[in-house]
Amino acid sequence: MATDRLLSFLMLMAKRERAHPKDGSLCAVAAEVTNLSGAGIALVSSGQQYTSVCTSNDVAHTLMDLEMTVGEGPCVDACISDIAIDESNLVATFDRRWLAYSPLAKEAGAHAVFAFPVRIGAIRLGALSFYRDEPGPLSAAQSSDAYLMASVIGRAILAMQAGAPRDTLAAELEREANFDFSVHQAAGMIAVQGSMSVGNALVALRAHAFATNASLSELAIRVVLREIFFDPNPGSWRVESRSGYG
Amino acid sequence: MARESLLVATLVELADSLVDDFDVIDVLSLLSLRCVEAIDIDAAGVMLASPGGELQVIASSSESMRVLELFQIQANEGPCVDCYGDGHAIVNHSLKDPDDRWPQFSPRAIAYGFHSVHCLPMRLRGRTIGALNLFRKERGTLDASDVVVAQGLADVATITILQHQTSIDAATLNNQLSIALNSRIIIEQAKGMVAQATNCDMDHAFERLRAHARNHNLGLTVVATSIVQGDFTGNDLDPRPPKAR
Repeated sequence: MATDRLLSFLMLMAKRERAHPKDGSLCAVAAEVTNLSGAGIALVSSGQQYTSVCTSNDVAHTLMDLEMTVGEGPCVDACISDIAIDESNLVATFDRRWLAYSPLAKEAGAHAVFAFPVRIGAIRLGALSFYRDEPGPLSAAQSSDAYLMASVIGRAILAMQAGAPRDTLAAELEREANFDFSVHQAAGMIAVQGSMSVGNALVALRAHAFATNASLSELAIRVVLREIFFDPNPGSWRVESRSGYG
Repeated sequence: MARESLLVATLVELADSLVDDFDVIDVLSLLSLRCVEAIDIDAAGVMLASPGGELQVIASSSESMRVLELFQIQANEGPCVDCYGDGHAIVNHSLKDPDDRWPQFSPRAIAYGFHSVHCLPMRLRGRTIGALNLFRKERGTLDASDVVVAQGLADVATITILQHQTSIDAATLNNQLSIALNSRIIIEQAKGMVAQATNCDMDHAFERLRAHARNHNLGLTVVATSIVQGDFTGNDLDPRPPKAR
């Protein structure tokens, strides 16, 4: 469901999309809604390779570059451990959490860093990280908003991988706010039908919903009812009139 | 079994399930099933709110599409939304059609044979984290003792979410909620894979996952994750559910 808070995030995204159609808006919105100094998003590939998607300012950009270079930091830890990382007082002393990252991150201007896994079930997409130029923990509202933003980003990445244009992402996300169980069940079914990962199956499902102008939920229910199938050879969708199991 | 014995057995069983590394979804599914046995109702489910305030079903006494749908509608409207919103229990609410209060939820619930609904908040130190939702086919009221039992079970469900955490600040609670809700998605992804690989329906796929987890003393989420990651397929699960304990 699109809660009020989610809607306010999407409205901000839409506003930024109009103002900067090429830049993308996710990181800037993430930093703004949580009222933190900056944000960055890293994607992880199956081979544990990390790539930066966006950063909200120069310091966030430096921090992300640093993390990619030294191979350690909040995004990497969030991806590996699959839980939120909270380093509310980044210290450069000998007992620091990240030997290479911590002192350099502090030098770049970060005094606290946080990261939240971006995932959809067992699909690990990457992580959303934040920094702040002074130490201290997140407030309850900041923590909730960061989790909500990580979930928005998961859906946004999926939509982008399925071919949604960056400058209409907010509208797409609002239209598809409801990821009900049938979407996840259908992704599992398509993964087996097409011998692909559940992540790729979800992208294929999303892309087919775009292509046929159907809603993701409607398409998913048809998959679960076995009215429509994915045929890996030649990679097309097949409709059957017979309906089977629920 | 007499009501008191059933209740005691349920509490012992739940306490017994809350061992190290227990699976939240498995325990809450068990709790939902036991609600149906211990209270005069026909279906039960636990809905949790994400850190962003979105309600999602985490466990249900039935995995049938119809019952799950009744919980899913409540992402938008229904007794759980109201109960979560103000933290107050809804007891003995008779459903009607048409219904101005819940225009989508009520007609659907009636179409599926339910005529009254109850919802007990899951509260933790002033914050409501979800709700226990009970459906009854018959109209009429629950005993006062049934309501006490139901609220007790809702409180057990709350404790389950905490998973041995001693400090429950907002960040920790958000993390626990997020992990639990994501586990449910992993299970749905695995159900789809099992249903496709073994040509069965979603209820049966869930039973297979749960039976395999029990037989091998693994967490339900662990088994589901292995399926989704491709470590093994639906065909490698144990052939049929074992007899009830």
